[in-house]
Formats: sequence, structure tokens, C-alpha cells
Amino acid sequence: MAASLSSAGTVRVLSTLARSSLLCSSSGSRGLHVTAACCKNRAARTRVGKGEKPLTYEQAFHPHHIGHCKGWLSQHTSNLKGEEGAAERTMEDVFIRKFMFGTFHGSLANEIVLKRRGNMLIVCALMIQKMSPLKFYFLIGYTETLLSHFYKCPVKLEVQTLQDKAVYKYI
Amino acid sequence: MAAPTVLRRQLFPLARILSGLSHLKPRSLTVCSGHRRCAVSRFPPPLTPSASFHTATPLSSSASSAVSVHQITVTEEPDVLFQKVLVLVKSHDRAVLDSYEFFATTAAQELGITVGKVFEPQKDIERVTLLKSVHIFKNHRVQYEMRTHFRCIELSHITGSTAKVYLEYVQRNLPEGVAMEVTKTAMEKVPDHILKPMWEDLPADDKPSQ
Repeated sequence: MAASLSSAGTVRVLSTLARSSLLCSSSGSRGLHVTAACCKNRAARTRVGKGEKPLTYEQAFHPHHIGHCKGWLSQHTSNLKGEEGAAERTMEDVFIRKFMFGTFHGSLANEIVLKRRGNMLIVCALMIQKMSPLKFYFLIGYTETLLSHFYKCPVKLEVQTLQDKAVYKYI
Repeated sequence: MAAPTVLRRQLFPLARILSGLSHLKPRSLTVCSGHRRCAVSRFPPPLTPSASFHTATPLSSSASSAVSVHQITVTEEPDVLFQKVLVLVKSHDRAVLDSYEFFATTAAQELGITVGKVFEPQKDIERVTLLKSVHIFKNHRVQYEMRTHFRCIELSHITGSTAKVYLEYVQRNLPEGVAMEVTKTAMEKVPDHILKPMWEDLPADDKPSQ
């Protein structure tokens, strides 16, 4: 929320107001609106630039669009009412995302989508064709074997490849 | 005995459903789905150009082999009868539940199961208010919520073996992120000792003492 000159704010706001009142008096009676630093939301939002930053569909929409124009990146039942195991699933998800990011270094086009169906863990990833297919196949098999031994459940990787990252808009 | 014919009848529609309804698997709204996006990718000459590799979903191949694995068992004991089988599905996404409800009701109709009522209990929202900052700034908070949508399908007057087959089929095709709770109400034969009132059997001279 923006705070106008007349309302009270935090210490930081008051100091900026004190500094800006000098400018205000010289340019006439113009209102100055200052937002307190922690009023803005910064979660999963790319700050607007000059038009040179490419954004994927996932990055272009803010978290409050989830369920409206965004889907879920990690799909499991533990966050539903009356279901347990949310913390364990979250830890597994974090590990798998870091593992995939490191194994397929530089070739991930978008965020990883994790789906849990019964006992199976399905990892869906979009890749850029950075390496030869032989290397891709080896890394896919390596990831599947390692993760299934680690989590004691069948892990399947569903990979699709693109030439470049799919850009939704430029910011 | 009706058991062999009942069981045989169950197996044929199941085979028909598995072949005919495989395209009706509910699709969940995800950012990247395995078979929806067909991104064209061309590879260096050693591989054939049409081999744009993306690994397919494993469910379609396992469904066809499931029919041959199951054997028909005939037992002498009578089948359990259910007055009502309540299938409650929960999810974060209402569209997924719509699609799953269409799939489940169509499967029940194909198998000849009477579908009682299909209704939607009210959604449940769990809200959490947390501090936005790591240290101080108590006046700035952040709110998160978790929405759970429900859908309830009621099947009435169903036998135990039919229920087993139907529930197994429907559960194998549960989308990711959807949870199911099944409540079965069984019907039992009234025990013989309470069929007739007790005072009819007692001898007539057993009057209470004054």
C-alpha cells in the first residue's frame, strides 16, 4: 500500500520523507507517495526492465495466478485436507529439482514438473538440445536409476526437447 | 449358480472399457504434459530425424496387460452385497475433478452399475497468515491458502466383486494430485435369533411374581 505524505510510516519512510520534503517545497505543492519497503511483494516476480529480459510462461505470471492461468509444478496429495506427508514430499521435491538442475546443467528450458501417481514418481522436464542425444539418454537412465534407488519407488523421466527456450514475453 | 455368469459378465465389459475408454483418461492441467505438446526437435545426422525423443506415459502399456494377468476365481461363499459405495475424490483443481467425474460415471454406466447421486460437497479452504519478513515488521504479513475441492459419487446396490473390479479400474486411472476415499455400506442377513420376539417362545405359565 502506498502511504501519502500525511500518514505515519516506519523510521525508514520518515527519513525519506524528511529528505524529500525539501524537493517538494521547491517544486510547488505536489503530492509524494512513498511505499514502505516491505509492503511490496517480491515472491517469484521478475522486476520490470527495459524490454530485454525474456520470460517463460511460468516466470511471466505471479504466484497469485496459480489455479487461474498457471498450473502446479509439483502434484501430490499430501496438501489436501486430511492427508499427511507434506513435509517429506516437499523435501523430496527440493532435492529432485536441485539434482536435475545439476545433472542436466544448462539444458533445462523450464521448471521441472513432478507428478506422483500411486507409488510412481514422474519427472517431466523440458530440455534444450545442448548435448548429443546419446549423452541425454545416458543422463536420463542415470537419473532414473539413481533416484529410484534413493527413494525406493519407480521414477520415470519424461523429457521433451526444444531448440531454444520458449519465450512468452520480454520484460 | 449365478456366480460364473456374473464374473464372466464383469470381465468382458472391463475388456471393452479398457480398449474403448483409454482415450478418456482424465487430463490434469499442468504446465508441461507428456502427450499434449509436440515440440519439433531435429537431431544431428547419426539419429533418424523423426526420433524426437520424449518418453511416453507408461500407463497405456500396462493397462492392456492387466486383463490377461487377472484370473477368474469361483468360490462357494456368497458375495458381499453393498447397499451403498461412496467414492469421495479430493483435489486442488476443480477442472480435474469435473473430468474425473465424467470418466467414473461413464465407466459405471458401461459396467451396468446404478449411479445414485453425484454431488459436490463444499470446498474447504485452509488459510495461513505468516510474517512477511524474517525479522520484526509485525505489521506486514503474507497469507497463503490451500483449497481442497471434493466430489462424491454414490453407487447403490452393488455386489462385492463388481465393486472390487470397478474400484480397481477407477483407482488405476486416478490423476496425480487426486486423493480418493471409499466408504462401503454392506448389507448383512438379519441374525436368526432376533427374527422372532422372545416372549412367543417362552412357556405360558412363566408369569412375573407379584
